Amino acid sequence: MTDVLIIVFTAMTVLPVLYLLFTKDVIRAAFGFVLSLLGIAGLYVLLNSELMAVVQLLIYAGGVIVLLLFGIMLTKRTGDEGIFTGHRNVWLSSLVVLLLGGMLFRWLITASRPNADQKEFAGDQVREIGVLFLTDYIIAFEVIAVLLLVALVGASFLANKSSQK
Amino acid sequence: MSTLPIAYFLTLSGFLLLAGLLIVLIKRNVIFVLIGIELMLNAANLNLVVFSRYDPTLAGQVFAIFSVVIAAAEAAIALAILLNVVKYYKSSDLDEFNLLEH
Repeated sequence: MTDVLIIVFTAMTVLPVLYLLFTKDVIRAAFGFVLSLLGIAGLYVLLNSELMAVVQLLIYAGGVIVLLLFGIMLTKRTGDEGIFTGHRNVWLSSLVVLLLGGMLFRWLITASRPNADQKEFAGDQVREIGVLFLTDYIIAFEVIAVLLLVALVGASFLANKSSQK
Repeated sequence: MSTLPIAYFLTLSGFLLLAGLLIVLIKRNVIFVLIGIELMLNAANLNLVVFSRYDPTLAGQVFAIFSVVIAAAEAAIALAILLNVVKYYKSSDLDEFNLLEH
């Protein structure tokens, strides 16, 4: 049962990405990207990391997608004809990506995984991650809070500057 | 717990990374390039979560959550910058952005 679900969510992740590669329609691509993100969230659930699945749904499928759609709507005034884009450097880019893929695949099959016999964390993962955030990773937690504040202020400043001129 | 091997998820994550890179390289629309960057970040997150199956300390998931936060901040800043650039050039085509001055 779990394996069938993994195949389903993998198809849900991979097929929209293939569509993204070939389509020229930006709006449809953004909605295909939503489907791909939902598939990845399902894979996180099946990998026993519920917190990452919820974070993926809230921040990616919720926040980043809304930002992308606003970006599409604000960067182009359009009527009914849709927003289309072209391709460039297709053959050279495909060659580069194929070479990189070959290297990755070779490393994937020859890599040694010395920790492959270790067990995953057993118990309440969400509680343990919360404890880790406030003990071992407290400095990173505070720094990333400041980073989010700076990003918020900077983004609103930049967007405001573009709307005034 | 699934019986599928870890290499299955690593292959999927590698595919997402390569597809994101290809989208960044061949698409001419700025929003498409942002989507490609987000795909590559997702591939990295998937790797972190998969490797955390073999880690009793949960460090992989903590790093994945940090990475998601960085990705969200990056998307917000990138869109704010893009709004300025697109307004200046009156186009969302990357090939038209050919000046480094304002």
